[in-house]
Amino acid sequence: MSDLAIDIRNVVKRYEEHIAVRDLSLQVPRGSVYGLLGPNGAGKTTTIRMILDVILPDSGSITLFGQPNTNPGVLDRVGYLPEERGLYKKMQVRRVLSFLAELKGIPAAEASRRIDEWLERFSLKTSDKDWGNSKVDELSRGMQQKVQFIATLLHDPELVILDEPFSGLDPINAQALKDAVLDLKRRGKTVVFSTHVMDNAEKMCDSVCIIARGEKVLDGSVSAVKRGAGSRHVALSLVGGAQNGVSSVLEDTGLVRTVDDNTNFFEIELAPAADPQKLLRRLIDAGANIERFELVQPSLHQIFLERVGAQGIETGMSGHG
Amino acid sequence: MDKKIFIVAKREYLERVRSRWFIAVTLLVPAVIAGFSVMMAYAASKGNASNAVRHITIINTTSSDIGQRVADALMADSTLVGADSIRPRVVNVSPAELAQAETKAADEVKIPNHIAGYLVISDSTLAGQSVRYAGRNASSITDMDKLQNTIRQSLMMVRLQTEGVKPEIITEITKTRLRFNTERLSERGRTGSGQAGLFAGLIVGVMLLMLIMVHGQNILRGVLEEKSTRVAEVVISSIKPETLLTGKVIGVGGVGLTQQIAWLGITAYLISFFMPLVLKGAPAAGAAANAAAASPVTGVLNSITPMVIAIAIGYFIIGFVFYATLFAAAGSMVNSEQEAQQAAMPVIALVMSAWLCVNPIMLAPTGKLAVILSWLPWASPIIMPIRMGLTTVSPVEIAGSMIVAVIGSVGAMWLGGRIYRVGMLMYGKKPSFGEVMKWIKYA
Repeated sequence: MSDLAIDIRNVVKRYEEHIAVRDLSLQVPRGSVYGLLGPNGAGKTTTIRMILDVILPDSGSITLFGQPNTNPGVLDRVGYLPEERGLYKKMQVRRVLSFLAELKGIPAAEASRRIDEWLERFSLKTSDKDWGNSKVDELSRGMQQKVQFIATLLHDPELVILDEPFSGLDPINAQALKDAVLDLKRRGKTVVFSTHVMDNAEKMCDSVCIIARGEKVLDGSVSAVKRGAGSRHVALSLVGGAQNGVSSVLEDTGLVRTVDDNTNFFEIELAPAADPQKLLRRLIDAGANIERFELVQPSLHQIFLERVGAQGIETGMSGHG
Repeated sequence: MDKKIFIVAKREYLERVRSRWFIAVTLLVPAVIAGFSVMMAYAASKGNASNAVRHITIINTTSSDIGQRVADALMADSTLVGADSIRPRVVNVSPAELAQAETKAADEVKIPNHIAGYLVISDSTLAGQSVRYAGRNASSITDMDKLQNTIRQSLMMVRLQTEGVKPEIITEITKTRLRFNTERLSERGRTGSGQAGLFAGLIVGVMLLMLIMVHGQNILRGVLEEKSTRVAEVVISSIKPETLLTGKVIGVGGVGLTQQIAWLGITAYLISFFMPLVLKGAPAAGAAANAAAASPVTGVLNSITPMVIAIAIGYFIIGFVFYATLFAAAGSMVNSEQEAQQAAMPVIALVMSAWLCVNPIMLAPTGKLAVILSWLPWASPIIMPIRMGLTTVSPVEIAGSMIVAVIGSVGAMWLGGRIYRVGMLMYGKKPSFGEVMKWIKYA
């Protein structure tokens, strides 16, 4: 038995006008939470669709749990939440869920039992009201998203693939989703999700792969990725922002290579051979009201900006990474 | 075969059959057809003369028994609506007493629920010149026709008698009832009623046309819904697009068949239930109308052999699969209802091109057009059953046409499947013809 949930080797997908994925290889260990990071149009959705055998790669191989993803039954072990969510609107919630579970090889009676459990767990079935008997389009947007999430997990998949799961979620549902992902990890499942929100990825993922323009930029465990980026980063918090002469200090290319300016919080990459102590002294001299000055490992967000850069974001693409 | 095809087919079938729309249409169409048929039968029964032709006084000024003969003939007529046992009253008077008898009869006509009118038979009638009737139903064409025919026949009998023909022979002659039965002859001998064969062929053709137009477009809408709600992507991540497409065609085809069987069954039941009620006033006429309605039906049943049923079902399935796949492909190409209408147009044009040829083919079932269309896969499923009902088509031609139709359907499935596979995941603007060609190439 392979200890890789997903093994992608040298996959290429060409379209008429552009190459969506070029020579991509990545390995997702079983039981890990894996982030597929990249700007819009980077090839994330194309990659995910190839993993799910929705589209065929032009060349390269994709195996799931050590078997080609085209083998019958392999995809029954995978749960998928697409970026664009949708269900049969005129269908009863219970029937939609049962249909999707049956497609994954779950017998109708077993599906029915699980649907009750899940509806109760997501408070879609209470003593007052059983939304399972309602039609999908009678549900609020938030409830529909819950139903879609249940559909992804109902057949108890070993591998769960979530495409941009956080887009369109309010903070409460986003937190619920994070809890659900961690719960899956605790139960030994593998979770892959794509996002361009680095903050979520940094907090949740064991490993990440950053892709841009269809190519892998870097991959590995989050800690290794951060270590690899060096520790020449400073986290700086200022009360009242960059007042007085602070701006000119931060613009000094002898000290600062790049700065991510968030008004009160700055993530600074030091210039090569620059001394952080000198930067601190200059800031104090400039009259900065410093709340925090800390040498840190760069955030994924910072690494992403540095490695992908503005050029990595191709415009005019379909919007499906 | 992939058992997931049947999970898809089951969903397509149950969701549609459960819908209010389906139930309403399935019940309403037979109600309309049955209502129409019963109305037609009622109107036809109204086409028969009423019993008022018996409720008359016959004033006979001749010395012959023609008055009595007319009365007897009217009583012997079994086609009158609302027939009862009231006999016409025959009054034999001399020409001098005619005026008085007429006045009396005219007064009786004025009394409600009494006689409907009076008939004056004179020597001029016997001479074959004229007869006179006055009454409330004088403007009823059917009643007047009935009277006229009865009088003419009675007059003929009187004349034959005068010429010395034996009464038995006269009775024999007047009993003559001519039934006009048609039978189709071909090189293979008798093959049943000509009209019945056409009727059976047309039923198969019309049912297939309706199945294609209604449920083929249903598939298109279903595909569009899956695409626009994006549920397609979840489904296709579990099963192959071809599996989804096949299941959909089977499921929706099943819905169509269910509906059509229900239509036939419910219509037959409604007609057999309501027809006698509506025609109650005229048991004799009702029976005649029932017999008339039944004769093409029994004729159809007689001309249908298991082989014909098998061939008709074969064409039915092949034809539906052909068009259903094309409709699905059309649905997968577009993103909105309006675009769907446009995308469906070429497919609809293809169906209609076949259907518009039905009339010329009914006139010339062995003509060039008929033979050519039998070899075109998009036309043969509609054309062939009609041709087979009208004439004898050689088994070689049937087998060849079927093989071509099957190849055509497989080709449509291949082509439709490839368009579908790519189209389902393509959003944005409607593809051009060139782009669709590329999809077919790259899928």
